Amino acid sequence: MKKKKYFRIIAAVLIVICTLALLQRLLTPKYVDDVIEGALIAEYYDEDKEHDVVFIGDCEVYENFSPAVLWEEYGIHSYIRGSAQQLIWQSYYLLEDTLRYETPKVVVFNVLSMKYNEPQKEAYNRMSLEGMRWSSSKVKAVLASMTERENFEDYLFPILRYHSRWSELNSGDLEYMFQVPKVSHSGYYMRVDVKAAENIPEAKPLADYEFGENAYFYLDKMVQLCEEKGIRLILIKAPSLYPHWYDEWEVQMEEYAKEHHLLYLNFLECTDEIGLDFQTDTYDGGLHLNLSGAEKLTSYFGQILTEQTDVEDKRADEKLAAIWEQKLAEYEKDKQEQYIQYGIEK
Amino acid sequence: MKKCVAVLLATGMIMMAGCGSSEKVIERDTATTSAEVSSQENTGSASEGVTENGSVADSVQKGYLFLYKDVTVSVDANMKPILEKLGEPVSYFEAASCAFEGLDKIYTYSDFEIDTYPQGEEDFVSAIILKNDVVTTAEGIYIGCSRDEVTAAYGTDYSEKGSMVVYEKDGMKLCFLFDNETVASIQYFSTVLDE
Repeated sequence: MKKKKYFRIIAAVLIVICTLALLQRLLTPKYVDDVIEGALIAEYYDEDKEHDVVFIGDCEVYENFSPAVLWEEYGIHSYIRGSAQQLIWQSYYLLEDTLRYETPKVVVFNVLSMKYNEPQKEAYNRMSLEGMRWSSSKVKAVLASMTERENFEDYLFPILRYHSRWSELNSGDLEYMFQVPKVSHSGYYMRVDVKAAENIPEAKPLADYEFGENAYFYLDKMVQLCEEKGIRLILIKAPSLYPHWYDEWEVQMEEYAKEHHLLYLNFLECTDEIGLDFQTDTYDGGLHLNLSGAEKLTSYFGQILTEQTDVEDKRADEKLAAIWEQKLAEYEKDKQEQYIQYGIEK
Repeated sequence: MKKCVAVLLATGMIMMAGCGSSEKVIERDTATTSAEVSSQENTGSASEGVTENGSVADSVQKGYLFLYKDVTVSVDANMKPILEKLGEPVSYFEAASCAFEGLDKIYTYSDFEIDTYPQGEEDFVSAIILKNDVVTTAEGIYIGCSRDEVTAAYGTDYSEKGSMVVYEKDGMKLCFLFDNETVASIQYFSTVLDE
């Protein structure tokens, strides 16, 4: 009799837990039909984990570099762990998280996020953090990122945060409840359309041009972690024309790189050499590159990686070649579909 | 089993209950904070347009105001009626945010710049930047004024960040950037986007 009672209690608890878990899956945003940037971080876990180069950073990495080009032209196996407005402490913990699975030879970090010294917006936090698998790195990333209005429990149980989304549910929430389709190409967000860069506004004067202590703290940690793991850290500033990259910031980054013996590349200073034309190589007026621009930039950067680091050409590796054959087919398919979608003749 | 159903129903009711106005809601698959919600409420009547003398309706004027000719510009006000009064800008720039729908827009006029943020189908003023000494704040301060003149106009209840002095009023910020003791830049900011 007692056994039966215990069985009923356990069954009831299990039913409640399962129902809540299903509800959570249903209500949590899928980031597939729109705002697809929110799906980028989670995609990494399904990947083959033998990358030689891993990019980390904000939209200036996932919209400006194409791992497909690095493979095709240089045989470099790479991945981008980028997310929208990825703050530097998120980059650090994403790096820590990545190192749980693999140790790349090179890590490339885009330095625009040095401008942020404090947590910014919950919506961006969610897009960078929700896709991370639970680990001590994710816990630390959440704690470092939360704004005053956020609660850790909402990250632990997203249903607490998204429970009121039930009235906005659409067919996509059901369709992608258990399986979310890929939205990127090894972390690269492809756009083939063109919107020329015009009328870039003047830079607003700032009260303080010094990067904050917190930003430097995490950059130091990143440098230290890479040193410990024998990883070559490369700092870059992608050639996005807006938001403005101040000369004062450039000086600080140059000095930091020099002091720590790091390679720092500001691609804004070599747009002609790269061959970028902001009339044709951007899809949003100079904020991010389109496919044409990203392929030019990646091709240029691939040469530097080949010449200045010990990454190898792995095109002869059968396993990787097979993986990339499939990836390149998907890349080409997406490219052709977008050309049709935007009415671009190629 | 009845208990189980009761627990499930109770849980479901809690989960499905809508948030109060002071809580957070989710909008378009992304988290939206109460700050944004309250902004929506504050600016809800903004589309009512400008008053007869060209000012944006009182209900949307908040904090320190910027007056240009017969147009009053307030942060978080609907840009549409303001744009109709100000006319075409010298240059216009729009920037899609990294991940959100809608565009941040920058309207540059010869003496000032107005930035907007999207909210639903409409755009609201996020910042006003004065570019030269031809224009002044509603309280008469312009680029080139001394620190004493700023203090005389706005008082001493301010915070300082580097060389910037910040006055806060009704959820907006008016910032004076000093070069030595002279105003070098005047910027009005909404705080709606801070969270």
